[in-house]
Amino acid sequence: MLPTRSRLSVLVFLLPPLVVYGAAVLFPILQSLVLSFFSWNGIGDMEFVGLANYVHMLTHDDVFWRSFLNSLGYLAICLVLQLGGALLVASLLLSLRRGRELVKTLYLLPAVISTVAIAFLFERIYSLDPVGLLNQVLSWLGLGALERPWLSDVNTVLAAVSAPEGWRFTGLYMLIIYAALLAVPRELEEAAILDGASRWQLFTKIRFPYIRPVWITTTIMATTYGLRGFDIPYLMTNGGPGQSSELVTTYMYKTAFTSTDYGYASTISVFIVAECLIAVGLIVMLLRRKGEA
Amino acid sequence: MITHPAPAAVRTAAPQPSHAPARRRRPRLTLHRTLSRAIIVVIVVAQVYPLAWLFLTSLRTEQDFAAGNPFALPSALTLDNFSRAFATGNLGLNILNSFIVTMGANVLIVVLGMMAAYAIQVLGFRLSKLVRGVFLMGIIVPVQIALVPLFIDYSKVGLLDTYQSMIVPLAGFALPMSVYLFSSFFEYIPRETYEAASLDGAGPYRIFGLITLPLSLNTVVTVVLVNSIFIWNDFIFANTFVLTEGLKTIPLGLQNYIGAMGKTDWTATFAAVCVTVTPLLLVFLVLNKAMIQGLEAGASKG
Repeated sequence: MLPTRSRLSVLVFLLPPLVVYGAAVLFPILQSLVLSFFSWNGIGDMEFVGLANYVHMLTHDDVFWRSFLNSLGYLAICLVLQLGGALLVASLLLSLRRGRELVKTLYLLPAVISTVAIAFLFERIYSLDPVGLLNQVLSWLGLGALERPWLSDVNTVLAAVSAPEGWRFTGLYMLIIYAALLAVPRELEEAAILDGASRWQLFTKIRFPYIRPVWITTTIMATTYGLRGFDIPYLMTNGGPGQSSELVTTYMYKTAFTSTDYGYASTISVFIVAECLIAVGLIVMLLRRKGEA
Repeated sequence: MITHPAPAAVRTAAPQPSHAPARRRRPRLTLHRTLSRAIIVVIVVAQVYPLAWLFLTSLRTEQDFAAGNPFALPSALTLDNFSRAFATGNLGLNILNSFIVTMGANVLIVVLGMMAAYAIQVLGFRLSKLVRGVFLMGIIVPVQIALVPLFIDYSKVGLLDTYQSMIVPLAGFALPMSVYLFSSFFEYIPRETYEAASLDGAGPYRIFGLITLPLSLNTVVTVVLVNSIFIWNDFIFANTFVLTEGLKTIPLGLQNYIGAMGKTDWTATFAAVCVTVTPLLLVFLVLNKAMIQGLEAGASKG
């Protein structure tokens, strides 16, 4: 604590950030909580409905459950691509002697592109008529049987809208994991190699345990970002065809701004927050426990 | 240093007078290294190829694009797409709007983030732990929770369809990370520095201006760079709160290209994408060292 601080100076520094944070984040959270107990279309009178929105969401709304399952699928694909890809590339990068900076920069590049541009790009990559990049590659590999319009096939559309999100941010997580791997003490690794540890053992017994705290942080980041994923599915398919690529977030957005059902949309958005909190809790519990065992 | 597979093979074939374990390990090591290198090249090419394709397509003629071999080099280069791209939309205006929003939000994020971190970490007060927790919690709060309430509030106070309607939530949701980065940096400024300044009669405001602020410039660069990527590309707030053409930022402006001429003019669209990507890409390529270092530092402290 600074000896010369005064109560006033603390307030001068603290109030402006709190006001903006409160107005943009804290107060809207409260408002959403309140709205979630009402039925309101934005124009007429607000009608208090108690828990009816929550009951409807959890027991009667098939679209909601469909979109929840889709969100889990979306999350799984994002996590595999982002964290799996990040760990793989970061580990391989350690064995490079030159060009590490170049690889890092190139790998991070997609993170700079806006989601609207990415949506355009992948729309073309997935298209069948005219033949897009993906279908072309498949036919060259002799896998012509797999060619299809990826975004209008109900079986592939969810994976197709998830992959770009995974692709986009894997570089960010790679940087973080790479920095953590660099910090693993060389002596530990060398001692293990002298004891005859294989590469796999070196990774599972030395490196990974060492980076576990960073791994927990990145998993939390990737999971909460994955659960709030919105732009790319919304732009590419708007949840379609049918509800096959509807996520909880796109469903909430449509409920709010297409059906102008503010009360119910708030209920769904409260669910999204709860979902994130639960996910963070689970990650910390699971990864910590394994670490102690 | 062995960089090519060929000399490596020669070397492993040649008899080596070194001791046994080294001789056994070396072929495996070079093989492993070559393999790693090959995998990295494949992954990086797959990662970057779509972007290269995007830039190439923006230089193709429409006929060439329609003929559609995505791997072929363009048969003729043309800048027509760019003139059509500028003729169709309001690219210049979109870029200006994105610039204003990014600047405005960044100023708030940096100044407010620094102030909050200073109050929490340096000045200190009774509930500082709690306030810090409230800020940090914001890192995991999804932005969707704020859309409906802010839309309602904005329409009540007439803020809908203004720059502020985008800047305030963008800054608010980025503040937690900024507070976190600044306060973890402030921890590293030795207390003696502050105590010496206090003894010399400097109050909290002068210490902030003369010590904390100048020392934090590196963190400022990191915070600005990382946030700019997200803010420059923000879609959800702009799409929700902006209605008129004059305030549209780049992500919204780009949407105009789809179906603007009945059928989508893809080469012009990709030209527009290239134009809008370029400013950020240049900043990123010039400053990427600073950004990568900042990201790594910020993350490894977490």
